[in-house]
Amino acid sequence: MELTGSHVLQAPVQKIWDLILNPEFLAKVTPGISRLEQESGDLYKAIAEIKIGPVHGKFEGSAELTDKVEHESFVLKVTQNSKIGNVEADIKMLMKPTENNETELSFDGVANMSGLLARTGNRVMSGVANTLTKQFFSNFEKELQNH
Amino acid sequence: MSNKYIGQSVKRVEDKRFITGQGRYTDDIVLPRMVHAYILRSPYAHARIKSIDTSEALAMKGVVTIYTGKDFENINGVPCGWQVNFKDGTTMREPKHPLLVLDKVKHAGDGVAMVVAETKEIAADAAEAINVKYEVLKAVTNPKEALAPGAPLVHDEYPDNVAFDWQIGNDKAEVDAAMASAHHITKLDFTNNRVVPNAMEPRSYIGDYDTAYDRYTLYTSTQNPHLIRLLMCAFVLGIPEHKVRVVGPDVGGGFGSKIYHYTEEALVTWAAKQLRRPIKWTSDRSEAFLTDAHGRDHVSTAEMGFDKDGHIVGLRIKTYANLGAYLSTFASAVPTYLHGTLLQGVYTTPKIHLDMTCVFTHTTAVDAYRGAGRPEATYLLERLMDVSAHEMGIDPAELRFKNFIPPFDGVNQPGYQTQVALQYDSGNYKAVLERGLEMLGYADFKEKQAEARKNGKLLGVGFSTYIEACGIAPSAVVGALGARAGLFESAQVRVQPTGKVSVYTGSHSHGQGHETSFAQVVADKLGIPLADVEIIHGDSDSVAFGMGTYGSRSLAVGGSAIVKSIEKVLEKGAKIAAHKLECSADDLDFADGKWTVKGTDKSIGFGDVALTAYVPHVYPANLEPGLDFSSFYDPANFTYPFGCHIAVVEVDAETGKVTIKRFVAVDDVGNVINPMIVEGQIHGGLAQGIGQALLEGVIYDENGQLTTGTFMDYAMPRADDLPMFETDRKTTPCPHNPLGVKGAGEAGAIGSTPAVVNAVMNATWHLGVSDLEMPLTPQRVWRAMNHK
Amino acid sequence: MAETVNITVNGTQYSKEVEGRTLLVHFLRDTLGLTGTHVGCDTSSCGACTVHIDGKAVKSCSMLAAQADGKSITTIEGMANGDELHPLQESFREKHGLQCGFCTPGMIMTAADLLNHNPNPSETEIREALEGNICRCTGYHNIVEAIKDAAEKMAVTA
Repeated sequence: MELTGSHVLQAPVQKIWDLILNPEFLAKVTPGISRLEQESGDLYKAIAEIKIGPVHGKFEGSAELTDKVEHESFVLKVTQNSKIGNVEADIKMLMKPTENNETELSFDGVANMSGLLARTGNRVMSGVANTLTKQFFSNFEKELQNH
Repeated sequence: MSNKYIGQSVKRVEDKRFITGQGRYTDDIVLPRMVHAYILRSPYAHARIKSIDTSEALAMKGVVTIYTGKDFENINGVPCGWQVNFKDGTTMREPKHPLLVLDKVKHAGDGVAMVVAETKEIAADAAEAINVKYEVLKAVTNPKEALAPGAPLVHDEYPDNVAFDWQIGNDKAEVDAAMASAHHITKLDFTNNRVVPNAMEPRSYIGDYDTAYDRYTLYTSTQNPHLIRLLMCAFVLGIPEHKVRVVGPDVGGGFGSKIYHYTEEALVTWAAKQLRRPIKWTSDRSEAFLTDAHGRDHVSTAEMGFDKDGHIVGLRIKTYANLGAYLSTFASAVPTYLHGTLLQGVYTTPKIHLDMTCVFTHTTAVDAYRGAGRPEATYLLERLMDVSAHEMGIDPAELRFKNFIPPFDGVNQPGYQTQVALQYDSGNYKAVLERGLEMLGYADFKEKQAEARKNGKLLGVGFSTYIEACGIAPSAVVGALGARAGLFESAQVRVQPTGKVSVYTGSHSHGQGHETSFAQVVADKLGIPLADVEIIHGDSDSVAFGMGTYGSRSLAVGGSAIVKSIEKVLEKGAKIAAHKLECSADDLDFADGKWTVKGTDKSIGFGDVALTAYVPHVYPANLEPGLDFSSFYDPANFTYPFGCHIAVVEVDAETGKVTIKRFVAVDDVGNVINPMIVEGQIHGGLAQGIGQALLEGVIYDENGQLTTGTFMDYAMPRADDLPMFETDRKTTPCPHNPLGVKGAGEAGAIGSTPAVVNAVMNATWHLGVSDLEMPLTPQRVWRAMNHK
Repeated sequence: MAETVNITVNGTQYSKEVEGRTLLVHFLRDTLGLTGTHVGCDTSSCGACTVHIDGKAVKSCSMLAAQADGKSITTIEGMANGDELHPLQESFREKHGLQCGFCTPGMIMTAADLLNHNPNPSETEIREALEGNICRCTGYHNIVEAIKDAAEKMAVTA
């Protein structure tokens, strides 16, 4: 499953960078992720609950931030396991300043699914991805106002 | 012999229990103290197991135990029943298919652990708590890609993913020369889509162990209980066969998928002794999609050459067959001896060559599915015929008439020797096409089609004149071809003292209606009422031996074995009758259930003779008491049913949706015992063949995940996808078995698929659509019509 | 978590404890031993588990046993009146509307519901009504014939 999206957020790159690298914030805005617990450095334990249409499950796994280029980009590696299947995603996050001192946040990645998720997924997963993307940015905007 | 029942549409005796909800399928059986198994399966198509932690799961309330691959390190895997050799004579590669995987999973759904618990729900919950760490590896699912250098390896010990290569037919150089001389060559690339058999009853097994007698019982949803016993005892678990009873109770459809010996059968049998408790495992449907053997999955390039008059001069085919991750029980025979040997079709093609490469991939194992190899052969031939006809500007029916093997009955004319090993028994191929055209009203149809086209409607007709090899099989022949078992059948006819008859057959009914059609044969041969006959099957403790039901073999092989035993009963009965009537057995005629002294009205009935046999107070000195005979029947040849299927379709120009307007099927399956049952078999086969053409198809994603793994994602033919079928029969008896029957179980699935695809191409050819990959979904057809 | 349900099945009243997550089909099969109702899938797609709840055809895998509390259920075992078969049961046999028998109970229950509200259905209406029931054996031809036949029989006796 391809994951792509981009959105202009009303805050400078510096702020977005700080927020997104804050695990508490990231957990809040990322749909489904209910908790990120630091294990070591940039490696977190991730607990997620997702329910969209017929797809629902409790996931446990890890999230890792790698290839960090300050104020520009990083790669989010997510591995999630659940009864209904596992997800492995590599997502490159990019931050680009715009003219009005705002930030274009975009991401591009691939999520590989297995198990029941993959089997029933084909039919609904692209829809799920779109929904999750929308949620991510709208959550981000909402949270941004509180920071 | 009277013919009171044979040839009549006798209503089925087994139906009473099914229509009242009293069928007894394996999952309906509950044994005292029974525990339940749930199998944890790999979510990955290809991964190394780094660790398995079962501690949390084991601690859960209600969990009895958990087995993993470690428990089976020293136990064999499930075997392949047919050895095929490479072209160079070396033996095929036969990887171990372990009961549970120890080190590396090879397809999504490979079994990793078995949880045993007090209920299935607890077992499933516990499986969730097992922590398996995998190192995920790259997977390959397409047979041609699996052959590419550097492709991920299914079995590390086989560095090219090749299971074996194989060829059949004339010398390759001769075929090349024939093709070089051709006036016209039609060349097509084919994909015969992978399909899932999906018998409605999911597989289900119960293992039981009786400590008092040191005896195992396995209840299994199988098509061949004795074969399972043999494979499991001798090749997997190494337990003595006489200590194992295998019961195949009512089985909810098979279509091939329940022939094979599956890992779970051995798992529950083995575990029953370990735990001293009965243990049941029943597959979920989504589990069935991952673990039941799939069907078809060939990728081919085929060329057919013609002379200037439209006679076929040669056929040259290169095929890659995807066998999946492991060799299932019959897997190696399907693309070879059940496929290559049918490439003669019903045509006089003088030179034929098939070059076959069978390949391992990270997918579920592929094995025989209704038709098994023959649908794939028919698909190649019949698509080539329709496309060639179009390219050469010859009517497709006419092109077939030009090339048919002339009629032969196998008695006055010899059988027809093909270029691909087999010798056909009897056939009249033009007769079925003539009848089909008559039923279709071909001349009128052409006018209608022209008219429809003027009105913007896309009407098309497609033909298929198929042949199949059934009634498998002569043991000597299949032995020479690598089968590791004989393919005879056994039957015991036990006449009870009151003249009622119990018949024990090694065939197995899972919808075919043996309890009725076999009883019709017995009742007529013995001249007794149908109600006096009971057919018993599916229990290795009551039936001496059996090879089971597949390959349209039950009546041709199993029925013939019954006839042999009846002949023995009548021969001995005549001696008893002669004693009672004080004459010589040669002076007696047997008809309508009694022996009569020729030229007199002195007679004795079957019931009296039966009673005398068991109450031998007045009895000839040289005869044993009793009236009970067993026979084994090993056929002299395969049988060769054939037929003509014609599809008329309308393609929606706006959406690409294909609607089947008419489906005409004229089948010649030899003599028929119960026309109603035969017609029902044809209908079911047609639905499956049409399903493959229009709806069904397995899709793996690039990681080897099965994305068509439920009935929501895999399109099964439903009632409103299909028309009423127009069927008729022709009769060319089989010359080499006593009933003259050929077999009807697979015919529908073999002939129908290319007829449908040909019809869709016929409807859309003028829009530039000449070939499309199955299934012909609206999206595919629309895209092709609109060149998108 | 267990709770008590009161359900009438084929005219007999039962008061049983069920787990909250128990599906009606498992209650019928495992608790009551009525194994004529079959499980053919895990996505409510195949219809093999169809029963009547207060006279309407319902896939018994698509509801919890607890939801059937207070309801009256008919399964395939309750279709015949003693030895007298329901016309649909007779017609399925006469027209060879079944082979392996696994989908048959669901087919008969769905067809009975159809004939209850449409006593004289066309072929198209029958096929549409069977859309939620999968049969792998018959190609549906003889199932359609059987339902037509039963409709005729029921019209005569009505």
